[in-house]
Amino acid sequence: MTERLWQILVESFPKILLPGLKMTLPLTVIAFAIAMVIAIVVALIQFAHVKILSQFCRFYIWVIRGTPLLVQLFVVFYGLPKAGLILDAFVAAIVVFSINEGAYCAETIRGALEGVPSGQIEAGYCVGMSYTQIMWRIVLPQALRTAFPSLANGLISMVKDTSLAMNITVAEMFMATQRINARYYEPLALYIELALIYLLFSTVLTWLQRLGEKKLASYGGKEARHA
Amino acid sequence: MLKVEHLRKNFGNLEILRDVSLEVHRGDVTAIIGPSGGGKTTLLRCINFLEKADGGTLTFGEETFDLQTIHRKDIARIRLRTGFVFQSFNLFANKTALQNVTEGLTVARKMPKDQAVDTAMNALDRVGMKDRASHYPSQLSGGQQQRVAIARALATSPEIIYFDEPTSALDPELIGEVLSVMRDLAVSGMTMLVVTHEMHFARDVSNHTVFMENGQIVESGESKALFLQPQQERTREFLRTLSAER
Ligand SMILES: Nc1ncnc2c1ncn2[C@@H]1O[C@H](COP(=O)(O)OP(=O)(O)OP(=O)(O)O)[C@@H](O)[C@H]1O
Ligand SMILES: [Mg+2]
Repeated sequence: MTERLWQILVESFPKILLPGLKMTLPLTVIAFAIAMVIAIVVALIQFAHVKILSQFCRFYIWVIRGTPLLVQLFVVFYGLPKAGLILDAFVAAIVVFSINEGAYCAETIRGALEGVPSGQIEAGYCVGMSYTQIMWRIVLPQALRTAFPSLANGLISMVKDTSLAMNITVAEMFMATQRINARYYEPLALYIELALIYLLFSTVLTWLQRLGEKKLASYGGKEARHA
Repeated sequence: MLKVEHLRKNFGNLEILRDVSLEVHRGDVTAIIGPSGGGKTTLLRCINFLEKADGGTLTFGEETFDLQTIHRKDIARIRLRTGFVFQSFNLFANKTALQNVTEGLTVARKMPKDQAVDTAMNALDRVGMKDRASHYPSQLSGGQQQRVAIARALATSPEIIYFDEPTSALDPELIGEVLSVMRDLAVSGMTMLVVTHEMHFARDVSNHTVFMENGQIVESGESKALFLQPQQERTREFLRTLSAER
């Protein structure tokens, strides 16, 4: 490796990492948090077979899962202004990523809700709890525990998918790298450097996922019995 | 204190319960016996509204309700006065034994936390599970889980506890511990309605026995009498096949 190339990589490292910390990370965290709220609400509505609302939820999931994320970004950022709704690029990204991820997580959580033995719901009724209390205190916690690994996978995918936000002018890591590359023209080295930074983010998240799973297991899961 | 009259229940075209009437007095221990598929579970589930009956009335305490049109609020109110023990325990998997018992107290009855813990510990003590209070269901044997389930029903001071074959899902060596807890409860004066295949329990512990078959009550009466001198031929046959099996 030449001295010049090394110099470029070292100099660009903070210039890529910084947008990562200022854009990619907040975008991921905020959008995923909102996605979880959407997902839980949608999953509960479907689980309870609430009339009309659950049909609406199915429609939402159908549309979101059936269309490309990039197209969704374009519709919201470039399309909605035509309808009079102008969103800041970062806000548009949050909106799209949370709505998109929410649809996928909703399906995961709904599946996990259905996996909780219905006898526990009946037992809840029999000790006098209401449906809401049973869902909130008994069923949802167990479902979230079951869904945890899939949800964590979703989060890790999302970190990488945020690179698409570049296409709607969000100055995240990918865009930062492109700009640096435009100046030095070292695409191989720079994009590998970018890839490594994404890898770093994912690794930290994977590590957090393991930690979380361990914590949940010691909470009386099947594993705990043999501990 | 509990009276069921003309209870009917269909699943699709199948008549599962046809005109079942039953009365339980305070302090009674009533056993419901009968061949598999006779509708015993369905009867208990209808009485506690886990299944919606297609007709009949329920008198609980002083009040009488139409089982088909009973209001949600009334259901909730009655459930606060009853306990239910399932064949498959149905403990809350994400709660410890203690939390399984306190849940109905703090959440459903708004009892202060420390009072609930005291009450729950007492109940767990009565079923011999006090030293396992902090265990999760997955860490307990079937017999222990069922005893916790009994404590959960017991802790709310119900006026009656329904048991649906509480020992049928247990390994033979674990049945005894659960039956002995139930016997203690019976002796202490708890009103109990027990679906069971344990004939010893029906004969020796319960004071009333109901024999049910094909969705109907064939015969009912004082346990000793029913076992010694069954009046109906079907009852005789049923009891005979049981003793032949043994
Ligand atoms: N949810 C249901 N849908 C359709 N049929 C049902 C349902 N639950 C029970 N049945 C039918 O109702 C009949 C009575 O069932 P039930 O479980 O009440 O009998 P049981 O007397 O408790 O039998 P066991 O001793 O085997 O527990 C059976 O023929 C069963 O197949
Ligand atoms: Mg049964």
